[in-house]
Amino acid sequence: MGIEHDTLVAISKSWGLFYLIALAIAATAYALWPSNAKRFEHAKNSILDDDDKPLK
Amino acid sequence: MPQRADAAALSYRDCVSAKIKCLRYYRQQKKRVSRDRVSLLFMGDNDMISQLTSTERQYALVILVLMSLCGLVMAAGGRGDPLGVHGFVVLAFSVGLAFVLISGFYAPQPDPEQQTQYYDDPTKVGIALTMAWAVFGMFFGVWVASLLAWPDLTFDQAWSSFGRMRPVHTTGVIFGFGGNALIATSFHVLQRTSRARLSDQLSPWFVLFGFNLFCVLAVSGYFMGITQSKEYAEPEWYADIWLVIVWIVYFAIYLRTLARRKEPHIYVANWYYMAFILVVAVLHIVNNLAVPISFGSAKSYSLFSGVQDAMTQWWYGHNAVAFFLTAGFLGMMYYYLPKHAGRPIYSYRLSIISFWGITFFYMWAGSHHLHYTALPQWVQTLGMSFSAMLLVPSWASAGNALATLNGAWHKVRDDATLRFMMVAAVFYGIATFEGSFMAMRPVNALSHYTDWTVGHVHAGTLGWNSMIVFGAFYALVPWLWKRESMYSPKLVEVHFWLALAGAVVYVFAMWNSGIIQGLMWRTYTENGVLAYSFLDSVEAMHPYYIARAFGGLLFLTGTIICSYNIWMTVRAGKALATDNDAEGDIPVFARNAVQAGE
Amino acid sequence: MREFFHRKLERKTISLVVAIVAVASIGGFVEIAPLFTIHKTVEEVPDMRTYTPLELAGRDIYIREGCYACHSQMIRTLRDEVERYGPYSLAVESKYDHPMLWGSKRTGPDLARLGDKYSDAWHVAHLINPRDVVPQSVMPKYGWLQRNELDFSKLGLNLAAQRSVGVPYTQEMIDNASKDAYGQATPDTDAASGVSERYGEATNVRVFDGDPARVTEMDALVAYLQILGRLTDAAYKQSASADAPTPVGE
Ligand code: HEM
Ligand SMILES: [Fe+2]
Repeated sequence: MGIEHDTLVAISKSWGLFYLIALAIAATAYALWPSNAKRFEHAKNSILDDDDKPLK
Repeated sequence: MPQRADAAALSYRDCVSAKIKCLRYYRQQKKRVSRDRVSLLFMGDNDMISQLTSTERQYALVILVLMSLCGLVMAAGGRGDPLGVHGFVVLAFSVGLAFVLISGFYAPQPDPEQQTQYYDDPTKVGIALTMAWAVFGMFFGVWVASLLAWPDLTFDQAWSSFGRMRPVHTTGVIFGFGGNALIATSFHVLQRTSRARLSDQLSPWFVLFGFNLFCVLAVSGYFMGITQSKEYAEPEWYADIWLVIVWIVYFAIYLRTLARRKEPHIYVANWYYMAFILVVAVLHIVNNLAVPISFGSAKSYSLFSGVQDAMTQWWYGHNAVAFFLTAGFLGMMYYYLPKHAGRPIYSYRLSIISFWGITFFYMWAGSHHLHYTALPQWVQTLGMSFSAMLLVPSWASAGNALATLNGAWHKVRDDATLRFMMVAAVFYGIATFEGSFMAMRPVNALSHYTDWTVGHVHAGTLGWNSMIVFGAFYALVPWLWKRESMYSPKLVEVHFWLALAGAVVYVFAMWNSGIIQGLMWRTYTENGVLAYSFLDSVEAMHPYYIARAFGGLLFLTGTIICSYNIWMTVRAGKALATDNDAEGDIPVFARNAVQAGE
Repeated sequence: MREFFHRKLERKTISLVVAIVAVASIGGFVEIAPLFTIHKTVEEVPDMRTYTPLELAGRDIYIREGCYACHSQMIRTLRDEVERYGPYSLAVESKYDHPMLWGSKRTGPDLARLGDKYSDAWHVAHLINPRDVVPQSVMPKYGWLQRNELDFSKLGLNLAAQRSVGVPYTQEMIDNASKDAYGQATPDTDAASGVSERYGEATNVRVFDGDPARVTEMDALVAYLQILGRLTDAAYKQSASADAPTPVGE
């Protein structure tokens, strides 16, 4: 057991924060990326289609 | 007024597009209904088996034979131990299914045409199982609630004492009711959003029945005193292993069906369902690591002890809430709510951002179950901070649902089905706000160990989980069985008010009792001594425990009515119109909305 | 590059799966992993002893009956709890608890320091019918504990399994598990002598259920209840010492 408790705690705390920030940026960027808009628009409306059959 | 004009324009547009859709829908229905007449019938005939190819039937038999053998081995190896009893349960379950299978074994091969349609039989059976577990689990809920008001209702039996029946209730509703609802709806949503049929016809049955076998083992075990004592993870090692197998197959269905999808983009509801399946697998495996005392015994000891065990357990417990009771049900909401309202989700982007927010934040928050305990303080602080942040994606989801309905409030007023879904979103907002609040250390100092927690839980489970399931089912049942509407829209209305009243009575009773309890425990007299004995607080709870049992009874009554209504819709509901019925060209959803308000 | 990444994430289910697992697992890892090195920060307590086979059997009955659903075993660092129940619980005190039984709800009071608070006879009467001794109680009756003979046959297996998850039972303890369980509840038999030898002089060796003729589940459960909070004195010592953290008031 080479790793000390305090080291682990420190790693946890710092990396946790970086991870959080990176993730928030990535998720927001993905959701707001202009070229994704069309795909999202299609997805959101396509479920309303009443065609209740698998596509060929 | 411009607003008015807008509304009028909208509803006109709605009408036109509805009309076009209706016509299209009608043409398809005409073709299909006649062919499907038989399969409209409910279980109890061989029709469901005749949908399986003969290879699938053979595989099914092989699996059932293997399961029976497992049961035999357990029964033999566990002689004199409760494990042996469970061996017989497994045996009976598998042999019973084998009989059903064999009765239809030589039915003609299915029409290859069926490949061009969705495969909904497992969803249908899943709905029936969901409702059976709902009645069962809620019945035991009312019973255990009554035990706290009238403790001698155990009738001196060991199996009916509070400690053994409480997990029967929690497992019955969370896994039996909630789990079956998730499985049933996920198969349906997965196919519709992928526009692809399920990858095969055997594995969905394996998942459905396998999961129910797990629930049966769990619940029958508690009556006998088999439990690991970990909340929401009580089943013993062999049931846990079985669930892992079932879960892997469940996940494989998702992957394989998604691989066949015709839509390039994976609709967000599936993200939530997938997070539910994946994360629950991880949580389940880690938290249930244990060493059985022998392979001939049901008893095991958890690998972890003390602090580590507590943190692992509540990392699990909290995230079971997050991924079982939240992510999966959000998946349900993101499909059935827009679908039934006939309006796209308010913001698709927001649903994606909240997805990652929920997936990320929840995992950190488990330690809010362990404030002021022997858990290191920094872990408690992390749990508290992330619980506060959790409110953002949670309210984004609730707000997204409500904003979807904005502009359709007349539908919400007239259609109890939609109202179920709306109330679910509201309760979801309440429960998550309350949760974040209770996660603050000073608040938790008061609320922890009291009925406040129980009140919070039931704002979530009665208000959010149950309501969204009922809403989804009232939308789904007429659709699946090709009925014009539910058998009785009036009863849907009755159910709605019973469920709402029950939930409100329950939650208010527990908020009151919890806060009184918490305050009594910490009140000092002027002389600086504790003012109340513990028993004073027990006595003070009595009226609230009666009120809670009553609220639960209302809720249970609603659930029974719902089951009856579903049953009658299947048995006696008016089939979707054929050629000479002029009304037939109204799609299920539009019609449903109109009828419920009448 | 970004576009490529997004396209992939969306089109490839596997990427989504990997992303979900990665995003979800980090929180659990960060919080739980450090706890596995926690023993380095927790003081060693030399006097900490393990449960005897009879107490372990009692603990298993406590689990079987679901007592943890209504009773916690974790006194928080709050003034009123410490005054009501005793010194707050330390991490070491449950280090041999596989699984822990901290609980999450107090329909009844905390039991972390129950040991020696009441007599054996009180416990027996209370378990047979709680309302005989505490009229306002809502606890169930547990009459069958007094009727059921304790099953000794598997206690060796129980201890062995406990050892394999880290509890320091010796081979001798495992080999003598059934005998020791019997002996602890029957002080007048030969079996009794080995118990204190193996588990320490402080071990309670007596007839717990009031019936010397039989060793029942009641014996086991009461033996367990009487040891709660008594496996080590660390908590009492800590609360007496000056630099102990003061419990938080409200
Ligand atoms: C932002 C979201 C939420 C947060 C931060 C949160 C936080 C909490 C907190 C602080 C407790 C009390 C822990 C204790 O003192 O013992 C708790 C208990 C609980 N919550 Fe939530 N909650 C949230 C949402 C939900 C939802 C939506 C549900 C149900 C669908 C739910 C179900 C439960 C359950 C079952 C418990 C009881 C655990 C036990 O057995 O002790 N929570 N939650
Ligand atoms: Fe939680």
